[in-house]
Amino acid sequence: MKYPRYPFAAVVGQEQAKKALLLALVNPRMGGLLISGKRGTAKSVLVRAAAPFTPTGSLVELPLGATDDMVFGSLDVDAALRDGERRLRHGLLHRAAHTLLYMDEVNLLREEVLKSVLESASAGMFSLERDGVSAVEEISCIPVGTMDPAEGVLSPALLDSFGMFAAMDDVEETEQRAEIARRVLAFERAPEAFCRAYALQETELQQKAARAREMLPAVEVSHAILHLAAQYAARALCVGNRAEIYLVEAARALAALAGRIYVMPQDIEEAALFVLAHRMSRKKEQCEESSRRQREPQEPQAESQEESEDEANDAAEDERPDDNLTRDAMGGESKEQEADTGEAQEEAAQTDEERTSPADGDSGSEDRDETHSIETVMARLSLLRKAVCGRKGKSGRRAIVQLDVPAGRPWRTSLPRSGRRIDLAFAATLRAAAPYQRQRHGDQAIVIRAEDLRVWIRARRAAANILFLVDASGSMGAKERMKMVKGAVLALLREAYQKRDRVGLIAFRRTSAETLLPMTRSVELAEKELRSLPTGGKTPLAEGLAAALKMMDELARKEGAETVLVLVTDGRTNVPAAGKAKEEALRAAEEIARRDAHCIVLDTEKNFPKVGLAPEIAQRMHAGYATLERLCAEGVLEAVRRFRALGNGSA
Amino acid sequence: MVKKTYPFSAIVGQEEMKKALLLNIVMPSLGGVLIQGEKGTAKSTTVRAAAELLPAMRAVAGCACRCDPAAPEFFCDDCRRKAAAGARMEEESVPMRVVELPVSATEDRVVGTLDIEAAIRHGRKEFEAGILAEANRSILYVDEINLLDDHIVDILLDSAAMGVNTVEREGISYAHPARFVLVGTMNPEEGDIRPQLLDRFALSVTVTGEREAKDRIEVVKRRIAYEQDAEDFAASYEEQQEALRERIERARSLLKSVAVADRILEKAAHISLALGVDGHRADITLIKAAMANAAFSGRTEVAKEDMKAVSRLVLAHRLRRRPFEEGEVDWSAVDDVLA
Repeated sequence: MKYPRYPFAAVVGQEQAKKALLLALVNPRMGGLLISGKRGTAKSVLVRAAAPFTPTGSLVELPLGATDDMVFGSLDVDAALRDGERRLRHGLLHRAAHTLLYMDEVNLLREEVLKSVLESASAGMFSLERDGVSAVEEISCIPVGTMDPAEGVLSPALLDSFGMFAAMDDVEETEQRAEIARRVLAFERAPEAFCRAYALQETELQQKAARAREMLPAVEVSHAILHLAAQYAARALCVGNRAEIYLVEAARALAALAGRIYVMPQDIEEAALFVLAHRMSRKKEQCEESSRRQREPQEPQAESQEESEDEANDAAEDERPDDNLTRDAMGGESKEQEADTGEAQEEAAQTDEERTSPADGDSGSEDRDETHSIETVMARLSLLRKAVCGRKGKSGRRAIVQLDVPAGRPWRTSLPRSGRRIDLAFAATLRAAAPYQRQRHGDQAIVIRAEDLRVWIRARRAAANILFLVDASGSMGAKERMKMVKGAVLALLREAYQKRDRVGLIAFRRTSAETLLPMTRSVELAEKELRSLPTGGKTPLAEGLAAALKMMDELARKEGAETVLVLVTDGRTNVPAAGKAKEEALRAAEEIARRDAHCIVLDTEKNFPKVGLAPEIAQRMHAGYATLERLCAEGVLEAVRRFRALGNGSA
Repeated sequence: MVKKTYPFSAIVGQEEMKKALLLNIVMPSLGGVLIQGEKGTAKSTTVRAAAELLPAMRAVAGCACRCDPAAPEFFCDDCRRKAAAGARMEEESVPMRVVELPVSATEDRVVGTLDIEAAIRHGRKEFEAGILAEANRSILYVDEINLLDDHIVDILLDSAAMGVNTVEREGISYAHPARFVLVGTMNPEEGDIRPQLLDRFALSVTVTGEREAKDRIEVVKRRIAYEQDAEDFAASYEEQQEALRERIERARSLLKSVAVADRILEKAAHISLALGVDGHRADITLIKAAMANAAFSGRTEVAKEDMKAVSRLVLAHRLRRRPFEEGEVDWSAVDDVLA
C-alpha cells in the first residue's frame, strides 16, 4: 500500500542519522544500520522516508509479530494443491532484495529471529528446511533497525552484527522545534501539497544516491587507508575484524557520495563515528572511566598514556596478530604526549621515526594531525557510547522466553503430542496436507488426515516474582533499610514493564511478619501501600522466613513462575530467648532451600567483625550473599540483577 | 432487545474525560486517549456513551474496512483491486462507531486471518477481516488495556504507528488501512502499561469518583432513573445530545480553517523543553489538541487558553518518571510559559 510519506528532506536536523541511512543505501556490503534514540525523535519517519532512495523505490518492513515462515518462507500451498509439488513461497527476507529491510523496535524483536536475519543478511544467503521444503535462498537486503534504548538494549553480539550505528536526539532549540511542529501539521493537513514542495530536494537526493551507487565499484582504497582503518579499529579495541572491513566500506561509500573515486583519511575519520560507536569494547570504556576518576582533568596526556598501556596489555592478551598495530598506535600517542609536555625531545623524534615507517611515508607533521584526530574521534565515540547503552544502570539482559505455554505468541509449529490440548495451526496443517491432495479424494476441496495435523508451540516472556523480605525491627538502620528497599521495589516495578516481573514485600518486626505489598505489577499500588513504613520492635526472623515460605508456596501453586526471594537484614536478633529464635530461623532457612526458588541475602550489618546471623542464614538457605556497605536502592538493584544473572546461567 | 445506551450528556461531572473524548471525535487524527482510574468511575460508560455522538461518514459500500471513497490512497487491498479494475465504487453513509477489543482476544481475531471454511470447502484462500479492519476510521476501545497480552500490544503499536495492518500469515498476505482512534481504560492498581503504548496515546486523563455529596447523589439518582426506564431516560436527554452532536459537526467542519500562529508553535516548544519530555510528540500533540479545542469552542484561531485547556491532557503521561521519585507533578513550569 502506498500512502503519502513524509519526505526525507523535510525532517529537521538529525544529520548523523540521515548520512548513515544514505551510506547504508549506497553500499549494501556494510551490514546495515542501527538507529537509537528516545521515543518521538522521528526515527521510523526517517527510515520510511528513505524508501524512494532505494534501488527498488520501496522498503520491506519486518513487524514484531513476524513468524518464522513469514520471514524465511515456507511451502507454497497453491502450488502444492495445484500440482502436488513442494515449492517454496518466499518470505520477507527474499522480498527485500536490493532494498532496506526495516525493523522498528528492533530491541523488542525475538532475539533468535533478529540473529538469523542479521546473519543471513551478512552472508547474503540462508538455507531453509521446513514443511518438507529444502532450499537455499540468496538474499541481498540491507537491515535497518530503530530502537529506544529505554525499552531494553541489544546484546553486544547483536550490536556487532549491525555495520553502522547512529544516534538520534531531540532538537533542543525552540525555533527548530517549532519548525518541526509546523511541518508535521502542514503535512497532516495537505500531505500531497507538502510532498510536492519537497519534490525537487527529494529528486536531487535520489539522484545523488543513485550516482554514488554507480560509482562505488570504482572507489579504490590505498594501502595507507587500510592501515589507518586498522589503527582505528585497534584503538577502539574492537573484537574481530568486522570493524576494519565496515570502516573501509563506509569510507568508500562516503567517497562515492562525495563524487570521488579514492578514499581520504577524512572518510575513515567520519566513518569511524558510524562504525565504531557500538563495537568499542567495554574494557576500553572502563579504562577510560577509571583513569578519569584517578586523574585530574587537566592531565589528558597522562590519561592517554595510561590507556595505551592498558590497550597494549589487552591486545597482547586478546589479539596477538594485532599486537604490532596496537603498539604502533601506542607509539604515536606517547610521542604526542612527550612532544606536548616538552620532555625528552630526542626520544620523541625516535618514536616518530619508528612510527612513520610503516605508514606509507607520511610526513611527521601530518602524522601528528592524524593521531590527534584519532583522539578526537575516540572522545566523540565515548559520548556516543552512552546512546548505545541507554540510561545508566539498565541491565543488558533481555527477558527470558518461556516456551510451551498455553497463551502467548505463536512461535513455531510441531506435530501434536498425545495428551495435550490441540492448539491447531491451520496453515501449517494445510501445508502438510497440500502435496497429497491429488491422491486423496473426498467431498470437500481439501482432505485433511490426522497425520497432517500441526499445532502451535507458543512462547511468552518469562516473568519472575521478586519477593522482598525485610527486617523492620528496632535494630540499627531499620528505617534506612526500609526506605532503600522501597526505592528498589518501585524501581524494579518501573523497569519491569517489559519483563512483566511482579514484586512483593514482607516486613517483619515485633512478633510477626506483615505483607506490606502483595505481589503486584503496579507502581501505583506499590506507592500507595508503601506510603508509611512501620519500623521498630523485636526481630522475629523466623516468622519472617515462615511468611515468605508460605507466599512462595502459594506462588508456586498458582503461577509456576520463577521466584526470587531477597532477604534484607542485619542478621541481629534482639529477641530475649535468642538461642531458640536462632534455631528456628535457621530451620526455616533450610526449609526455604528445599524450594525451587532463587534466594539472595543482603547483609546490612555495619559492625566489624560481623556478629550477625546473615551469613549463616544465607548458607543454610543456599542463597547468594552480599553485603551492602552503603544503604541505597541502587545497591539492592545491582545485587538482585547480579544474582539473577548468575542463577539463570544463560545470561 | 438491546437496552438503550446511557446518554453521554447524562454523565455527571468527569469533565476532563468527556473533553478528551470529544476532542478526539472532533479530530480523529489526534491520537486517542488513555483513561486511568479506579473501578466505578464511569470510564466504560462514558466511552460507550460516546458512540451515540459519533458523526456519519461516507464509505465504500460493502467494504469491511469502510474505506473512504474520497481517499483512494488509503484503500484496502480489495478496494484497490476493484478500483484498478475500473469497477464503480458504490458509496454508503455509515456512522463512525466504537469497536471493542476484549482483553482475551486472540491474535487471529485482532489482525484477521485465513477464512478456514472457504479454504476447506472450496480450497480458496480468503482473508477474514479482524477487529483492526472493523476499527478503521472508528474508535478502537480496549478496556483494561494494561492487561493486554504483550504480543497483542505489539500488533496495536505497529498498526497505530503505520495506520496500516499488514497481514502476512497462514499463507495469505493482505494489507488494509487501520486508522483508528485508540481509547484505552485501565485501573493502574492492576498493573502498569508498557511505555511505548502509553506514548502512543495523545491524551490521558485520571478520573476519580465525584467527591461532593451533592454530585454523588445526582449520580445515583440518574442511574436509578436509567435502570427503571432506559428509553424514557434517554429521551429526556435527547435535546442536549442533539445540541452536542451539532456542536461536534460544526467543530469538525471548522477544523480545516483553524490557524496556528508562530508564537503558539514556539510556546509548545518552550513547554516541552521546560518539562524535559522525550521527543517531539508532545509539542505536536499539544498544538493539535489546542486546534481541536479551538474548533470545539467555535473559533478559527488557536489561543493560549486552548493550550492551557489541553495541557494537562497532553502532558500528564509524558512527564518522565524517575525510578526513585514520587509525588505530584509540578505544573508551574507549564503555567509560566502560558501566563
